[in-house]
Amino acid sequence: MAASTQPVEKRKGILGGLAVVAVVIGLYWSLAVAPPDAYQGEVQRIMYLHLPSILTAYLSYFLVFVGSAMYLWKREKRDDLLAHAAAELGVLFTALTIIEGSIWGKPTWGVWWTWDARLTLTAILLLIYAGYLMLRSLIDDESRAASAAAILGIIGFLDIPLIHMSVYWWRTLHQPPSILRPDKTPWETVHPSLLTALAISFVGFILLYFYLLSLRYRVGEMRQEIKALRLERGA
Amino acid sequence: MGPWGFVSLAYGIVWAAIVVYWLFLKHRYRQAEAELNRLRSSEAAASHDKR
Repeated sequence: MAASTQPVEKRKGILGGLAVVAVVIGLYWSLAVAPPDAYQGEVQRIMYLHLPSILTAYLSYFLVFVGSAMYLWKREKRDDLLAHAAAELGVLFTALTIIEGSIWGKPTWGVWWTWDARLTLTAILLLIYAGYLMLRSLIDDESRAASAAAILGIIGFLDIPLIHMSVYWWRTLHQPPSILRPDKTPWETVHPSLLTALAISFVGFILLYFYLLSLRYRVGEMRQEIKALRLERGA
Repeated sequence: MGPWGFVSLAYGIVWAAIVVYWLFLKHRYRQAEAELNRLRSSEAAASHDKR
């Protein structure tokens, strides 16, 4: 390993270590310390996974949006690399959100899946960004693939406000937001003991997300360097 | 399935998927790193030979 990359590697290691510690504390708090919900009982503990997963996915798509817009504006490869890495992680966290929601839905709604507005729009979000990843692999010209993906990355982000507002605009099985509400603060809607578990879990997810993103971004960067070296050699 | 069964299923699937993705990512990272080091060292050897 080159000496100049060692501080970066060290920072990645520290971030990964912090993520593991936060995730372990979050798991302990979610499963052992937080009391069961007054209405749903123990099954409500899935919320400590479900909410951080979807918020992490939203953050990821926001980075896709920013990276895509910057790429279309400045044409800098690093913005495209960021958008690509964030899209892959966004797909992972959206898929996990849908799985957790389905497992939570069975004991609370009586069904694994229903074509509810919020669920359907979240499934569409997953399909849009899975399409984003496929699109990149289908177009051979790298610059054209990056431009087409950037346009899709920006358009796909418009689904997120729709998902958020769907519980207000349509009659749905899904409950209204508990945290991101325009009319109330989180501590007015969620008991402090549940909110603490949620906050710790969220910190764990965010640290883990940035650790995975740094790894994924570096993979993209190294692939670019490999391509450049091969081209140089071929020339 | 009881309530803890659903909770275990959700936590089990999520953390297993994240660990599998992390292992997969680490594999891609090491592969790219090894390839890059190989190309860099052969590049350095080629420029040394020219001198």
